[in-house]
Amino acid sequence: MKQTETTSSSAAEGRKRGKWGYIWPLWTTLLLHLLAILLFTAGFLLTRTELPYHSQCSDVSRSPCFSSNNGSCWTKPAVNRVVLIVLDALRFDFVVPSTFFAEAKPWMDKLPVLKNAASTRPLSARIFKAIADPPTTSLQRLKGLTTGGLPTFVDVGNSFGAPAIVEDNFINQLVQNGKKVVMMGDDTWTQLFPHHFERSYPYPSFNVKDLHTVDNGCIDHLLPSLYEEDWDVLIAHFLGVDHAGHIFGVDSTPMIEKLEQYNTILERVIEVLENQSGSGSSHENTLLVVMGDHGQTLNGDHGGGSAEEVETALFAMSFKKPLSSVPPEFDSCSIHQDLDAMNVCISSMQQLDFAVTVSALLGIPFPYGSIGHINPELYALGADSWNSDASQKLSESDVWMQNYANALCINSWQVKRYVDAYSASSAVGFSRDEFSRIASIYAQAENHWSHFTKKLLLDRQNNSNISVSALKEQIDAYFKFLTAVTELARSKWTEFDLNMMGIGIGIMLISLIFQVFTVLRTTKEHDGTLSSSGDSWIVNGSILTIFLLGIRAFSFLSNSYILEEGKVANFLLSTSGVLTLRQSVIKGKLLIESIGFLILSTFCRFAIEVGLSKQAATSAFMKDYTSWIINIASGLPVWDYAAEVVPIAVLILLAAWLYKASSGSFFDWPWKYVILGTILSYMLIIAHWITDSNRFDGALIPQSVGRTYIPRIIYAIALGQLLFLTFGQLFKKSNLDCKTDLVAKTTSMLSAWSSTVILLSGKQGPMVAFASIFGGCFIMKFVNIEGKDGPQRSFSIMQWSLFATCLFFCSGHWCAFDGLRYGAAFIGFEEFVLVRQAILLTIDTFGFSIILPVFGLPFLVASMYQTNLGKHFIFTQLSQMYTTYGLITAITTTFTILCVTIQRRHLMVWGLFAPKFVFDVFNLILTDVFICLASIYYFDQGREDPEVKSPGG
Amino acid sequence: MDSHFSFFNSIQNFKLQRSSSMESRKAAIVEASPSISVPEAFLVNALCVLGLAFAVWAANTVFSIDLVSHPSLTLFFISIAELPIVILLYSRYRLNRQQCTYLRAVARGVLGVPIGTLLNFLGAIALGAPVKFQYLPKTINWALMMSVFTTVPASCVLGSSWADWRRIFAQTKPKGSIEYLICLPAHGALIGAWFGAWPMPLDWERPWQEWPISVSYGTIVGYLVALVASLGFILACFRSQHIKSD
Repeated sequence: MKQTETTSSSAAEGRKRGKWGYIWPLWTTLLLHLLAILLFTAGFLLTRTELPYHSQCSDVSRSPCFSSNNGSCWTKPAVNRVVLIVLDALRFDFVVPSTFFAEAKPWMDKLPVLKNAASTRPLSARIFKAIADPPTTSLQRLKGLTTGGLPTFVDVGNSFGAPAIVEDNFINQLVQNGKKVVMMGDDTWTQLFPHHFERSYPYPSFNVKDLHTVDNGCIDHLLPSLYEEDWDVLIAHFLGVDHAGHIFGVDSTPMIEKLEQYNTILERVIEVLENQSGSGSSHENTLLVVMGDHGQTLNGDHGGGSAEEVETALFAMSFKKPLSSVPPEFDSCSIHQDLDAMNVCISSMQQLDFAVTVSALLGIPFPYGSIGHINPELYALGADSWNSDASQKLSESDVWMQNYANALCINSWQVKRYVDAYSASSAVGFSRDEFSRIASIYAQAENHWSHFTKKLLLDRQNNSNISVSALKEQIDAYFKFLTAVTELARSKWTEFDLNMMGIGIGIMLISLIFQVFTVLRTTKEHDGTLSSSGDSWIVNGSILTIFLLGIRAFSFLSNSYILEEGKVANFLLSTSGVLTLRQSVIKGKLLIESIGFLILSTFCRFAIEVGLSKQAATSAFMKDYTSWIINIASGLPVWDYAAEVVPIAVLILLAAWLYKASSGSFFDWPWKYVILGTILSYMLIIAHWITDSNRFDGALIPQSVGRTYIPRIIYAIALGQLLFLTFGQLFKKSNLDCKTDLVAKTTSMLSAWSSTVILLSGKQGPMVAFASIFGGCFIMKFVNIEGKDGPQRSFSIMQWSLFATCLFFCSGHWCAFDGLRYGAAFIGFEEFVLVRQAILLTIDTFGFSIILPVFGLPFLVASMYQTNLGKHFIFTQLSQMYTTYGLITAITTTFTILCVTIQRRHLMVWGLFAPKFVFDVFNLILTDVFICLASIYYFDQGREDPEVKSPGG
Repeated sequence: MDSHFSFFNSIQNFKLQRSSSMESRKAAIVEASPSISVPEAFLVNALCVLGLAFAVWAANTVFSIDLVSHPSLTLFFISIAELPIVILLYSRYRLNRQQCTYLRAVARGVLGVPIGTLLNFLGAIALGAPVKFQYLPKTINWALMMSVFTTVPASCVLGSSWADWRRIFAQTKPKGSIEYLICLPAHGALIGAWFGAWPMPLDWERPWQEWPISVSYGTIVGYLVALVASLGFILACFRSQHIKSD
């Protein structure tokens, strides 16, 4: 490709402006944007590399600590079985007594069973305030809970579409060490751990409106499973509270009903465990943990870092004879009186510490990437089983402390090992200063251990008082180290690099200035050639363009407008339609077209609203088919039938229209065959749909052929068409005038892309394609609304760009990762290949909003002038249009970037701003790339037309 | 000082015109737009504002409804209260006084109500007004109020003259003072409504963010601002005429 460019530029030498002359600003822009975005992203999107290592039982011999010698793994097991009940979006104030807060609210005190257990048996049951790390979404939190790490927005190594955890984690360690895990409830767990569970009862989590399916499924399996013996860890994940929050908010009757329902279930669970907790029974040594994965705001939102979202509760209860007391140094609990004047002790812990603490209790290796520390209070709940082998001289609390010190030793060694490995293998590791500081703290603690404490522990006959104080010192040293690591990790994985972001924004602004300069330069050139400009409408049009663009850009500063971006874009599109209508009334022409445009934008608006309602109603990570047509077609069988037939009819209409267009006289051989190929592709799409649907059973083609081979044939045809167009262009010397040639080239290019885009978009594809053809035609006609003299270029381009944005939302997408239609990536392919599926997904997502509009932009030039004005003039116009289009996209993206920078501490930053940022940046780069490709394709080096009329003459 | 001066000027002007109108009646028929003197324009505007204020006040105190609690009823009440004022006032300045009686102008104004309501209703739908059944009366009543501010004065004065409508609403080139009085408030109401839609998506969760409350506030504010602005324009118009005639 580079080769052809250089040859073309040399061939064009001596002429006023060669092909390269039109193209180089576009390429420069692309490079500037790439650089700016790379730098900004490096500072903003916090990334963490996932390490593929796993902890092994035998690793611990390399640590300076004592390994337990009775056949178990890293630490001495303190509990045998764990029942883990996760209540999604459990707010802290659901669990603790209302006296804890200044004011009692209706949703408080609805889970009295937990509070009563904690108050009546303060030594074996505890309530913790568990503080989660943002992003507080279920998936990231489950990941954090099981790996003991800090999942960031982008975890490098995460596989596309399938979120299975590849890092070492608590569940993985359980399975590795022969423990059996049973899971019920939220199917996110089975996505994260597809092969780990002994038994699992997953229920779909994406339907937020459904408060009961997941919970009832859990309830059905939870109590019977408690009597089973075939598991070591049981996980039950309830979703009702999360869904009730999303739909009704916290202060609502369904929420309170849900909490009351949970209270009953938890009562029964505790009763069952209690009854079986006798010596020799199945739950003799079981730990019950009831916890939330994150909190929620009063509206039921979560994702950010506000106190309401990160503060959740953790309740732990053991069913054996408890330890008499935890040494007070490690007891962080604050005592409150509840309504019955009973004391409730409420401690605090980090969710980060959960994985390692439970691993230590179960005696399995700690997850490799865990950076938490063993929480003393939670660890103390499993304490008493060590008393048996302890010497009688020491009090049980001293024995516990010895064990705890050793566990912390292993813990610190494991964290240090992870930090070392991370610094060594990650591209962006910790800074050298930080690293050496951590290393020195660790060296200090370890020194103390090996020279002093170890001897002390070996020699157990020593005076217990000295031993206790030395142990405390040791534990403090380890705490210091672990806290330092956690702080470093938080700053690394949850804080931004402002310098990089600043440089990125600076380069982005430079690129904007460059683009504006290019536009102005070509305008000047254009004004030089076309004498009769300077019409007031041009000025008027530019002002309106700047106004619309400015409003759209500034709207990104608020999360509400980003959430409703589709509607905002449509509002602006309709506004531009009203302005065009006004203009057409003035000129007294194109009235029907401008009214048609308004009606079209009204239709778009309904499609966008359907899409937005779906956005609000889903929280699923993976969905296979989210086209709105399915959404509409739920109900009447007539609708159902229409939803099958109408797309096919529209597609036939499109094919007929293409056929008619291609029979025009100016369509020469390369273009004609391309269009015929597209019509063939359309027919194949229809065949694919017919075989795919179960409505038309007796189809002639077997389903497998229809499902996989037909789409592949269509992709192959499209690829062939593109190659044909590229090479056909090299060999063919057009004998048509430049403008007609441009129209033919554009039409064939669009038709070549359209079949793939329509196929991937599913049943809605033909409708959206139809709408885009109509919208494109209308905008093309509006270019001429002023007559020959005053082309309202910038306004038309703005309209074109707004329309493209609306099409993005119309085709069932939105700027969030759950807005991606993963199903589209697997049309025609069953297995997953990253590059191939990513390309298909990109074409589906941006087909209507980038690929078709960018390749279709020459229509605006072609429709602008009725007479042929010569190649140079048309190409100048075209390059100006592309620069303007790029500029419009770049300005909106710049504002998105600025807005994420400003709002980086906003609670919605990971839930809303960051996805929007990723989409916009991707949108900008893709637009730039396609503009560059289009410029290579459209600016050919053919000779100047012989019959050039002098421009403007 | 300056405004006082111009005020006197215009009063004089008004008197002059009154006296000269007898002689040049023939000419006045040919002239496209009848002029309106500054005090008269002031009076018209003041009455419109007072009517609006009275409607809002009466809705609040007498019926104890307001835009936030009963948007559709309040909008209907405002429209009904403002409608006769607008029709009766603007019909006095109808074009072609010879062929068109006062009553006919009133009838034209009444006819402008359904047409304007329909147009504004469709416009609101195109720009994204909710179409659910519960919003239907609200949208209709809002469109009714919009028609009182936009199409009704125009249809009283202009009748069915397409060229005049086009000149005023598409080209925004009002000629003469009365056309300023039609053109500016109508545009003010529309632009105000457009801007009034912007707070709607924000997550402040205030009751007034519901459709069509904020839009109605925008409309009313835009209308009032434009009424004041139109007075300024009429003053400027008179001064330039005055200079020209000198």
